Amino acid sequence: MDPLEVYKVEAPGEEFGAAKYREIILDILQDLGLVRSIGRLYVYIDMERPYFAVHGLLRGSLPPLRVGDVADVVRTQEGYQVKVNEEEHLADMLRVLWEKYGRDKVEQPDRDLLTVSSDVSPADLIVTDVDAEFRRDLTDALIRIAPEGFRNRRNEMTEDSFLFIASEETITPELIEEVREKLRGMENA
Amino acid sequence: MLEPVMFTGGVYKHDLVIELVEDLGGYLLQKNVTQSEVILLLLVPAEDLRILEDLTKELRGELTRAPLAGTEVAVVTPTLAIHHLPHTACDIAEYLRRNGAKSNMIGLARGVGREIAQINEYETALINEHDAAVFIFGNFAKCIIKKEELYKGINIPVVVTGGPEIPKGEMPYAFEYVSSVGRIAHRSKKATEIGNLDRIVAAVGRALDKMRADIEKDPLTTSPPRVMDAVREQVPDIERSYSPLPIALNLNGCRIKLPYEDYHEAIGAVRFDEGVTLKEIAKIVPSKMKNYTLVRILPESETGMVF
Repeated sequence: MDPLEVYKVEAPGEEFGAAKYREIILDILQDLGLVRSIGRLYVYIDMERPYFAVHGLLRGSLPPLRVGDVADVVRTQEGYQVKVNEEEHLADMLRVLWEKYGRDKVEQPDRDLLTVSSDVSPADLIVTDVDAEFRRDLTDALIRIAPEGFRNRRNEMTEDSFLFIASEETITPELIEEVREKLRGMENA
Repeated sequence: MLEPVMFTGGVYKHDLVIELVEDLGGYLLQKNVTQSEVILLLLVPAEDLRILEDLTKELRGELTRAPLAGTEVAVVTPTLAIHHLPHTACDIAEYLRRNGAKSNMIGLARGVGREIAQINEYETALINEHDAAVFIFGNFAKCIIKKEELYKGINIPVVVTGGPEIPKGEMPYAFEYVSSVGRIAHRSKKATEIGNLDRIVAAVGRALDKMRADIEKDPLTTSPPRVMDAVREQVPDIERSYSPLPIALNLNGCRIKLPYEDYHEAIGAVRFDEGVTLKEIAKIVPSKMKNYTLVRILPESETGMVF
């Protein structure tokens, strides 16, 4: 079963290629852990022109990750104690704390323990912008997915959708319009 | 008739195998020691294979036929980018290796795309140094057919792999086309995928048989393993080559992994029991691969002898 709500791949005249690209796209999205954030995916491949287009709808965007989300912040005599629960964010968190308080105010007595000598709570500091990171990963995935020879690329990302076109030839406004038309047709089918 | 086989077993007493093969008049092509295990690629006279089988049993080893042993196969991808590697290309290269071939992976500089794909003279010459080549293409029939430009100029048999079924008539320059491989983004592990790898190996085997048949029409003055043996004996510096396989065998010669400028005279002076030197019966030229030395044995029609 597909983990996506709607997942269509069309490549007129290249049925095998369409079926195979279905697998490849799913493999790559799964490798990069992006499947859950994409709701619908429409792929149109035209080998005559040739071009490769992907249109996707994103599932609601995620809020930025704050210190309070990945660690327990406790008020102590000297300042604040931060107990890190998700270690993968430790490096980012240290960077943010150093920037805010300065290196001499932040100490790491233990692997998952940080102390901050300040009266200002670090709980609301942004550790990573998950959404921006996701968009970066998604662009990377799309470049990996598109056939390598298609070096002229156009990537439009909005709040809740993206449109990616890759081609060997120059991408003209007419081509973009044609792609949009095809993808609209797939959505309404 | 020499039979190519692969011995896999423990390091303990494996030198008995090497000694036996040498006594039988066979050749050791390659020796790989991985911790406590050793893999030997051997050429053994077919009629004496039983003796080796018995010894293998005694040593609790395993003896398998390696039909591609003593050959070098190029595995060519359009580029070395993540789109083509690692899965398909590495799986195919590794599978060829398991069947005894020495496989080299070659990524073209500008092999991508349908209209823009190209290959240059150097790449063509490098691929031509092998005995057969496998070109790995993608999933779209139109692209695969169009990309024959890449292997039109190659003299060795080319096995093309790709996704869709394409009638043979559409690809006149390919030796064979193996379908349902194409671009995949996961490792080959399903039974059907392994079956595809077997089909590629079989196709490469047929390509090599064709090369052998072509060579047979005008036999080589001597066999490549014999040259390898003589070079190993008379150019001792070969032991100091850092390559895992200091002498790689081809069907019509071998590649000696020593710098051409410093060693071509020493290699040319290698003398056989029959009284001839290597440079009289072979062309010794610089290889396109690094600064190695390439030996191409001349056929009987040019030297007037076979031994």
